[in-house]
Amino acid sequence: MRRLPIPPRWKKLLQDLRAEKSRLILMLAAIAVSLLAVGAVMGAFAVLSREIGVNYLGTRPASATLEIPAGVDGRVLEVARSQPGIAVAEGRDVLQARARVGEDWRPLLLFVVEDFRALQVNTFTPTAGAWPPPPGGMLVERTAVPVLAAGLGGRVRVRTAHGPGVELPVSGLVHDPGLAPATQERSGYGYIARETLPLLGEPAVLHELRITLADAQAGLPAIEACAAGLAKALEAEGREVHEIRVPPPRQHPHQRQMQTILFMMLAFSFMALGLSGVLVATSLSAMLARQVREIGVMKTLGATASQLAGMYAALVAALGAVAVVAALPAGYGGAQVLAGAIADLLNFTLTARGVPWWVYAVQAAAGILVPLAVAALPIRQATRLSVRQAIERHGASADALGALSPRLPWPLRNALRRPARLALTVVLLAGGGAMFMTALNVSAGWERNVAKVYETRHYDIEVRFHEAQPETVAEAIQGLPGVRAVEAWGYSPSAFSRPGQVDVVRTYPDRGHASFSVMAPPPGTQLIRFPVLAGRWLREDDRDAVVLNHTAAAARPGLRIGDPLNLSLGGKATTWRLAGIVEEIGSPGAAYVTDHAFARLAGTRGRARLLRIATEATTPEVRQHRIRAIERKLAEVGAGVETAWPLAELRTAMADHISILIRSLAAMAVVIATVGALGLSSTMGTSVLERTREFAVMKTLGATPARVTRQVVQEALFMGALSWVAALLLSVPLTAWLDALIGRLGFVAPLPFILSAGPMALWLGILGLVTLAATLLPARRAASLSVAEALVRL
Amino acid sequence: MIQLSHLQKVYSGGQGGFRALADVDLTLPAGEFVAIVGKSGSGKSTLLNLVAGIDRPTSGTVHVAGTPVHALGESALAAWRGRHVGVVFQSFQLLPTLTVLENVMLPMDFCATLPVARARVRAMELLEEVGVADQAPKLPSSLSGGQQQRAAIARALANDPALLVADEPTGNLDSQTAETVVRLLADLARQGKTVLMVTHEKDLSAWADRIVTLADGRVAGQRQTKNQPAGAAAEPSHA
Repeated sequence: MRRLPIPPRWKKLLQDLRAEKSRLILMLAAIAVSLLAVGAVMGAFAVLSREIGVNYLGTRPASATLEIPAGVDGRVLEVARSQPGIAVAEGRDVLQARARVGEDWRPLLLFVVEDFRALQVNTFTPTAGAWPPPPGGMLVERTAVPVLAAGLGGRVRVRTAHGPGVELPVSGLVHDPGLAPATQERSGYGYIARETLPLLGEPAVLHELRITLADAQAGLPAIEACAAGLAKALEAEGREVHEIRVPPPRQHPHQRQMQTILFMMLAFSFMALGLSGVLVATSLSAMLARQVREIGVMKTLGATASQLAGMYAALVAALGAVAVVAALPAGYGGAQVLAGAIADLLNFTLTARGVPWWVYAVQAAAGILVPLAVAALPIRQATRLSVRQAIERHGASADALGALSPRLPWPLRNALRRPARLALTVVLLAGGGAMFMTALNVSAGWERNVAKVYETRHYDIEVRFHEAQPETVAEAIQGLPGVRAVEAWGYSPSAFSRPGQVDVVRTYPDRGHASFSVMAPPPGTQLIRFPVLAGRWLREDDRDAVVLNHTAAAARPGLRIGDPLNLSLGGKATTWRLAGIVEEIGSPGAAYVTDHAFARLAGTRGRARLLRIATEATTPEVRQHRIRAIERKLAEVGAGVETAWPLAELRTAMADHISILIRSLAAMAVVIATVGALGLSSTMGTSVLERTREFAVMKTLGATPARVTRQVVQEALFMGALSWVAALLLSVPLTAWLDALIGRLGFVAPLPFILSAGPMALWLGILGLVTLAATLLPARRAASLSVAEALVRL
Repeated sequence: MIQLSHLQKVYSGGQGGFRALADVDLTLPAGEFVAIVGKSGSGKSTLLNLVAGIDRPTSGTVHVAGTPVHALGESALAAWRGRHVGVVFQSFQLLPTLTVLENVMLPMDFCATLPVARARVRAMELLEEVGVADQAPKLPSSLSGGQQQRAAIARALANDPALLVADEPTGNLDSQTAETVVRLLADLARQGKTVLMVTHEKDLSAWADRIVTLADGRVAGQRQTKNQPAGAAAEPSHA
C-alpha cells in the first residue's frame, strides 16, 4: 500500500516531536492526569445526580410528617387524603430504642410500619430474607448490620421506653436510601410491623402521619402551608397535632455535603487542568525557544506567521486529543470509584454506572481547548518574531532586564531574562504549593474544630432518659468508682414555635439530622464551656434568658440579642429572651436555658432527663467499662435509658462524615504539586539548553563545571523561593474560602483559620528537593560539555 | 529591477541607536550578479536583509520588480518572499530534522506552488542541477559544508524566484568549495536570475557583474566589472 505523502512542514513537526520525546510525555502526562480528575469528578457527579433520583427520590420521601399524640387511625388518614394537594397519606412511627450488642447497648431507631406490602411513603426495598417480616420479626437496614453485629438469621435484644427488652429475630435485610448510613450515624436501623409493638411493651399506635404532595416540585412554603392546613383540619376533628416535620424537600440528609465535595473537587480538577495548560505552555515555549531560528528560516522560505502558528497549534491540539483518548477510560474508572465512595456516604446503591455523553464532551473540549488557550501566547510570540530577530537569536537574551538589574545578584538576573517563562513557572509551582498548603491548613482547621469537642466539653459520657428521672440518680452515679463529676440536666426536643400555630421543624425521619432541642444545665455548670460569639452565657438568676448555639442561631438569621424567642417545650409554647449565642462544635441546634426556668415551664422540678458524666477513664475500654457500670446502676434504680454514649463517638461520627473530603483535597494537592514540579523541571531544562553557549564562554574564562552547576541550581532555587512566597500568599484566601465552605458543611460555621508553619516548611522542603532534582541533571549536562561542543550548540 | 530610495536603517539600543544604513539610493538592473562588499559594520547584511524583506527600513523605500517591499504587511511579505526571493545563508540553515530533499520541498509547501508529489520531482531536479542529488535522502548533518550550501541554493531556487540573495554564502567554506558555490551563483545569474551576494572576499566578488561598495552605511562606490554585459564571460575578469 502506498503511503500518503506528508507535506514537509508536517514532517518537520513530527520529527521535532520525536526529538522532544521526554518533554512530550511530560506534557501528555500532565494533561491526561488533570483530565482524568475532571472526568472522574464530573462523571461521579453525573452518576450521583441521576442516582439521587433513583435512590433517594425513589423512596418517595415524605413531604411532611405530622406528629399526632393520639395516633393515626382511619379517620385521620381519611381527612388527610381528602385535603387538596395531598397525594398520599400513611401512618408510621419511629421509636428511639436500644439494641444489645455484646455487653453494651447501642442506639436503635425502630421504624414502625402498618403494611409493608403497601408502602407509599419513605419506602425501602428488601435485599434479603423475609418480606414482610413475620409478627415479632425485625428487618435491619443493610448498613446497620455491623452496628448491631447481627445479620440475617441473627437475633437482637431490643429495649424500648416502656418494655423490659425482647429478643427479636432479624428476619430480613432492607436498603433504605432515605437514611444516612448507620455506620456513620453510630445507630442501628430496624423495621417492625405495628403488631410487634405490644411485644416490645409499647402500645400498637402509630404517631406519625406522613404525607406527600401531589405537586412533586413543591417548595418549603407550599409544603408547610399544606401541612398546616391539614393540621388545622385534624384539630377541627379533635385530633391534636403536636409537631410538623418538614425536612428540606427532595434533598438527602447528606446531599449538600456530596454536592459541596464534588463542586470543590471539580474546581480543583479544573485548576489542575489550567496548570497543565500552563505546563504545556512552558514546555512549548521551551521547544519554540530552541526552534526560533528554524522559524526564522521557514519565514524566509515563505512561511507566514499564521501558517507557523497553525502548525504549533495543531501540535498542541493533537497532544490534547491524545491526552483525551488516554484520560477518557481512566476518567470513567475514576468516576466509578468516586461515585461508589460517595454512594456509600449517601447509602445509595448505584443502579446504573453509565456516564452521560456530555461528560466525555466536556472532557474532550477541555482537554483540547484549555492547553490551546494557554499555549496561544508563546505560539504567538514565537511566530510573530521578525525574520531577522528569529535568525539572529542566540539563546536567552538580556533585553528584558531593566535598569535595576545590575544591582541584582547574577542568578536572579538570569532567572529574570525570560519574564514570561518565569511567570508561568512561578504560577505553576505556586498553584501546586498553594493547594498543598491549603489542603493541610484546612485539615488542621478541621482537626482544631474537632479538638474543640473536647476542649469545650469536660464530660466524657452522656446519658439520656426516655422520661425525666429524679435528680437523685445523679447522686447514685456520683458514688460509682472512677466517676469524677455528674450533672443532671433538663432536656427536651424542641422547635421555634409560632403563636397559634403548630410547631414546624426541619428534622428528617431519622430524628437526628436537623434536630433541635432545649438543654437546661445546672447553674455554674463545670462540664461545658462554649466560646461566646455574642451576648453572654447563662446566669444563675436568669428566668427567661436563652442562649442559642451557633447551629440554632443559623436557623434564625436576623435574630439579635434581647429579641424575644418562642420555643416549644413538650408541645407547650414558651417565651424567652435571647441572651447570647455560643459556638458549639459537633452538635445539632440547641437552646440553653437555666435548669430552674426549664423545670418550672416543663414541669420537671427535681427531675432530669440528661446526665453528663466526667470519669477518670483515659482509654475507650475503661470508658466502656464505666458506661456498663453506670447502666447497671441506672437499671437498679429503674431509670429507663434512651441513650448512653461516650463523647468520643461524636468525634468519630464527625470524622466519618467529611473524612473523604480531606482525603480528596490531599489527593488533588499531590496532583497539582506534581504538575508544578514537572513545570519547573521543564523550565530549567530549557533555560540550561538556551545558555549552553554562555556556559562555554564561562568555562573559557575559568569557570569549573561545579561553578556552572551551582549557578543553575541557584537560579532554580530563586524561582522556587519566589513561587513559595506566591504560594503562601495564594494559600491565604484559598484556605479562608475552603474553611468557610467545608466548615459550613460540617459545622454550620467556618473552620478556624489556621496557617500552619508545618505545611509551609514541608512545601519549602519539597520544593527544595524538586528544584534540585529538576536542575541537577540539565546543569550537570551543561557543565560536562566541552567548550568546543558547547560553542557550536544553538 | 531593484530600486532603493533614501533608505535608512537605525537599530535601537545605545544612545540614539545605531545607524546601519544612511540615505542609500541604489538602482540595480535585473539579471545581474551583484556583489556587495565593504568592511564589517558597513551595512552590507542590512542592505541585503532590506532587499529580501527580512528586515524593514526605518525610512525610505525598497522596490523589487515593481513591488513596494517596504510597504507589505507581514503575511504578504512572507508570501512575496517565498515566491520571489531565494535566500542563501552563511551557515546554510537547512532544517536539521528534514532530509535534504524535504528541505528543498519546504518552500513549495509553504507557498503551495506544487502538490507534494510534483514538488518532490522538482526538488530532485534542483538538487541534480546543483550537483547533490545523491544526498537527497540524507539529513543535512551528514553532508559536507559545500554540499549543504549547494542544497541550500537548491532550496532557495525551489519556487523559481527572480531574486537570489546570499549573505556571505562562502563564509563557512574552504576556498575551493567557496569558488564552486560562487560559480554556481554566477551561472544562475547568467540564466536570468538577479543575484545579490554579500561578501568580504575580494577574489569572489570578482565573479560579479557589478560590485557595490558600502562604507559607514552609505554607498561608497559602484562599478561594473569586465563580466558585463550579463553573461559575457564565464570566468572572472581577474582570473
